[in-house]
Amino acid sequence: MKKYYKIVFLFLIFSFLIPGSGFSQEKRDYFKVGVVTSLSGELVFGGTVTKRGYDLWAETVNSMGGIEIGGKKYKVTLIYADDQSTPATAAVAGERLITQEKVDFILGPYASGPTLALAPITEKYKIPHITGSAESPLIWLRKFKYTFGTIPSVNLTAQAVITVLAKEVSPKPTTIGILGIDDPFSKFTAEAFKTASERLGLKVVKYEIVPEGSDYTPSISAIKALNPDLFAMGNHEKAAIEMMKISKELKFNPKAFVQHYGMTTPDFRKSLGKDCEYVFGNAVWTPNMNHQSTILFKTTKEYHEAFVKKFNTDPDYTEAGSTAAGIAFQEALRMIKATPPLTEAQKEALISALEKLDIMTFYGRIKFETTGESYHCNAGLQPVALQYQGGKTVEVGPGNLRRVAPKYPTPPWDKR
Amino acid sequence: MELFIQTLIDGLLIGGLIIVVGIGFSLCFGVMHIVDFAVGEWVMLGAYTSYLMVRYFGHDPMIYLPILFLIFAGLGWLIYPLIYRAVSGKRHNPVIMGLVFTFGLSIMAKGGALSVWGYHIQSITTWLSGKSLSLGGLVTLPALRFAGFIFGIGVTLLFMIFLYKTKFGVIIRATAQDRETASLLGTDVKKIGGLVYSLYAGLTGMSGVLIGALFSIHAAMGAKYCTLAFFVVVLAGMGYVPGVIIAAFVLGLLQSLVGVYIGGRYNLVALFIVMYGVLLITPKGLLRRGI
Repeated sequence: MKKYYKIVFLFLIFSFLIPGSGFSQEKRDYFKVGVVTSLSGELVFGGTVTKRGYDLWAETVNSMGGIEIGGKKYKVTLIYADDQSTPATAAVAGERLITQEKVDFILGPYASGPTLALAPITEKYKIPHITGSAESPLIWLRKFKYTFGTIPSVNLTAQAVITVLAKEVSPKPTTIGILGIDDPFSKFTAEAFKTASERLGLKVVKYEIVPEGSDYTPSISAIKALNPDLFAMGNHEKAAIEMMKISKELKFNPKAFVQHYGMTTPDFRKSLGKDCEYVFGNAVWTPNMNHQSTILFKTTKEYHEAFVKKFNTDPDYTEAGSTAAGIAFQEALRMIKATPPLTEAQKEALISALEKLDIMTFYGRIKFETTGESYHCNAGLQPVALQYQGGKTVEVGPGNLRRVAPKYPTPPWDKR
Repeated sequence: MELFIQTLIDGLLIGGLIIVVGIGFSLCFGVMHIVDFAVGEWVMLGAYTSYLMVRYFGHDPMIYLPILFLIFAGLGWLIYPLIYRAVSGKRHNPVIMGLVFTFGLSIMAKGGALSVWGYHIQSITTWLSGKSLSLGGLVTLPALRFAGFIFGIGVTLLFMIFLYKTKFGVIIRATAQDRETASLLGTDVKKIGGLVYSLYAGLTGMSGVLIGALFSIHAAMGAKYCTLAFFVVVLAGMGYVPGVIIAAFVLGLLQSLVGVYIGGRYNLVALFIVMYGVLLITPKGLLRRGI
């Protein structure tokens, strides 16, 4: 009798452990969506930006009863895991979501470093993963089969603002100094500014990459001494604010300050006050765009209004890209008529569906590349150059994307 | 030439800021042999408190410096008995116990700040923010950094007078040199430790105003000051307070000169090379006066 109990006990243990066995297979009528992003640490601001985008997607889908597949609606539940702003923790967090929470698919981190660490984990477990934020071209060069991204990589977008400044302002600038932070996103932003500048005939008088968290004063002093017409910065929001503060302290007054992501955040505006005026930047989406869609949010305006209603602030392109990542999954699931929980075969089919996906959303077109250096990146969106004018960002080009003429050159600090 | 002078000025001003953070940290180690991992979090909490004071009561954050000192000295006084308990008694390795305990404090402070004040990056502005002096039209002296520099030097001088010219200072130094003998001679070591920790917490909390105004305020801002405090204390000689000034200027100038003439990416490498060099060649610090 004792032996019989032992056998039953062992059978039960193995039933839980062996994937695909009757006991281990969950039965549920909702999608379990893992989200790995920075909910603490240095990048918590950006992590929360992605969270807001993902939350708005999930909440809107659920308010409509869920994702309609084969006549039935399936709700989504987001399960968050904090990457603590570090790549190593992103990998651990992703593994936990996959092996313990058994999520159907993953919405990815805010920053490129954690994304680059998470991607090999989603490859290992064959779990579809879309990042609604990461912009480093390194992610797409690695050609991960299971990783996709809704925001074009920074090497494709950072040229917009340099194009405007090199071609569409007067007097034309001739020199540029570039300072970037040593992380996968910021470094490639700086690199993209450099490549675009050289292509457009600007002389790069200084190109410097510095560690995150260092005092940027010596580097900015060195650039100031060379008196460039433009000063471009590759950074996230915190360094974006600090570099502007240091420039003001040093009375460094180039004809234009150029940023990429950081300047589009509300904290940049709030922290710098009137000192954010005249700063240039880039985006692939703004709430002023006029995209039409039949999925979830019918227009960019509708998304903008829903976002402001929920969060009481304007969305930026990272929030929009994060919501769009959810929409991409939702439409791919509908294409293959997959219901929760997803089997391994359905996850493979989901990858194929994402590769075939071609939809118009409030965010613009989502069509992931399937070849080349932008493999699985939604590379087709057109970047727009922005500038702070009157306390808000306005589109200043390039070409017919211009809504307002750029203000150039930037007046001295005490004349703003 | 202008760039070289500007680089030297930048370096000295960076050093001034490092003094502010390093001075209390050094004293804390010297007297109590506590390596306080939460040093950066005192800076962060000081910055947040000044931000809240400005938000709710207005005025320039600089006028809150004495109030901040009192608030954080009080907090330090309240926390110290816990630290004392962790590092005293029959613990095998009190230094490690102190390290672990303050590491825990640091994590709790970071997590607490994130929960209470959220993820937004905050900023405070003083009447000196963004202002600068142009010296001969060649180099720029940022006013707020210069204020930090003066503050660092001033606080260190006050500390030195306090430590070397007052009876209480003698007791503190005696405790730092030999806790057991000081105790046998009637010194209440626990009480002295509490006062020193209060002094350290008050000073470091105060520095949050300057650092918050110069850079930005967020829950994770303390980490880099913890690293800097370690660097400066190793260079100064563990527990040797006067050495902090020289060590901070060496670090500031090193960062500035390397940043301008070699490349900002080599800053940390240079700092580590110097620190390892000091540890290998003169483990008692640049002035050979540390523990």
